[in-house]
Amino acid sequence: MRPIVEFAGVTRIYGSRVALDDVHLELLPGELTFLVGPSGAGKTTLLKLINRELRPTSGRLWVAGLAAHTLKASRVAELRRRVGVVFQDYKLLPRLTALENVAFGLQAGDLRVSDEEARDRSQDALDAVGLGDRGDAFPHQLSGGQQQRVAVARAVVAQPPLLIADEPTGNLDQETAWEMMDLFEDIAAWGTSVLVATHNVAIVTRLQRRVLTLVHGRLVRDQPAGRTGRMAWLASS
Amino acid sequence: MAGVVVRGRFPRRRIVQAVVTNLVRHLFGGAARSWARNLGSTAPALGSMTLLLLMSGLVGLTGFALHNLQQVETGQASLLHVYLRDDATDPDVIMLSQRLQNDARVAGLTYVNKAQALERAQRIPGLPQLADASESNPFPASLDVQVKTIDDMAAIDALVRDDVAVDPVYPTSYDKGAYQRIQAVLLGTAVAGFAFLGLLGFIAVTVTANSIKAAIHARRDEITIMQLVGAPRWMVRGPFVVEGAITGAAAGLVAGLITFGLTFAAITAAAGAFMRFAPGVTVTVAALAAAIVLLVGLGLGSGSSLISLRRHMET
Repeated sequence: MRPIVEFAGVTRIYGSRVALDDVHLELLPGELTFLVGPSGAGKTTLLKLINRELRPTSGRLWVAGLAAHTLKASRVAELRRRVGVVFQDYKLLPRLTALENVAFGLQAGDLRVSDEEARDRSQDALDAVGLGDRGDAFPHQLSGGQQQRVAVARAVVAQPPLLIADEPTGNLDQETAWEMMDLFEDIAAWGTSVLVATHNVAIVTRLQRRVLTLVHGRLVRDQPAGRTGRMAWLASS
Repeated sequence: MAGVVVRGRFPRRRIVQAVVTNLVRHLFGGAARSWARNLGSTAPALGSMTLLLLMSGLVGLTGFALHNLQQVETGQASLLHVYLRDDATDPDVIMLSQRLQNDARVAGLTYVNKAQALERAQRIPGLPQLADASESNPFPASLDVQVKTIDDMAAIDALVRDDVAVDPVYPTSYDKGAYQRIQAVLLGTAVAGFAFLGLLGFIAVTVTANSIKAAIHARRDEITIMQLVGAPRWMVRGPFVVEGAITGAAAGLVAGLITFGLTFAAITAAAGAFMRFAPGVTVTVAALAAAIVLLVGLGLGSGSSLISLRRHMET
């Protein structure tokens, strides 16, 4: 199976600080992977490299068939249409309803999508995240968990082959966080590769999915799915 | 959500219609809404740009009139009056005329006798009194020589100045510094005009760029989301360019109308007094100037936005 993401000796340096050091890894379609590590380990940098918000200082990086390390600025949008992104702070537009937020993500990325199609697809996406009946609600009328679900719906409505999430449960209670993880498992089950950066030890240990551990910018552990590894460092981070 | 769940229900795409609708709504609708919403922060830009464009229009029309004036002056400056002695014989005058006509630097030659010279002088303010004060006609006959190039005036003057038919006291109308003085005044006026417009332009562009910067910050979240969902760069930046263009067009429209109104009023007032307002400045020219002011406003507004986007929007 061809990997959706491939890091080959990727290093990213900010000034004199090495944020990511010679990382090699592959993510496969339909795989739910957790990215863990203490604060400042390079998790966000790794996600930003995938979404081409940053360029590698050295090394090669392929995302959904595109060489991100040499990608011209004019083609970044093309890469980003293949990557769905979920943020800890949701980043929903407050003046748009849930349905409009999802549709906005769809139409901003693809002008060919008509209003009717955008409405239908957005409604489907909201149905899939369990918010089919809240499409008319504005973000401030939704709970944190519901807002995060809308954000997930927006990220996947264009059916990207890859979904990345940076601390998606950071602002959610434990129960809602579990619901969010169920959602990510469903998305992965449909063939989308999902990479979740998180500090949530309970979720990571219990789900027993593949876990990538970053420490000081180095990928120190790549634990396959179905195994329980040592997470002692997480408790202290 | 993903894949099979939704694909079956997608309506058939009418791509062109959808693209046009989305483009118009996103680029123009979004920009117009944002412009109206940010009118408070846009007002200084609108004011300074209107002032700039108004001054540009008026200075432009003044420059056009001065240019026409220069053309007239250049034509007159290349006309050399060769004054003849009162006692010059016909053969001497004819010989001088032939010499001039055979000269390749001369475009044309006209003989003006004393009576015609007096008649011409009486049309010049102040000279009729002088003519009346004298018992005889004090104005000499002349050969009016149209020189092809103004630079050859000195050479033609030197050629005729010592001729036997020419008045030895006041041989020609050649004034070495006159044309240079006109040129210097026009050049000085042009430099001052451009410097003034440059300063106003800098202020207008800076203020407009700052208003676009404020708009970018106000819509930061929207921009971030658009960039992250893969909106093309032109689609993210386009509404801001249109927003700047709206500011420029509004300023250009106001300035253009004022320019046209002021010029039209001046032309009408001058016509009422049987005078010409300014050389070459007609109602048509005023309308053209107003249209140019509008277009310049459009370009200036868009350009200011682009400058601001390059500085303040991350890719």
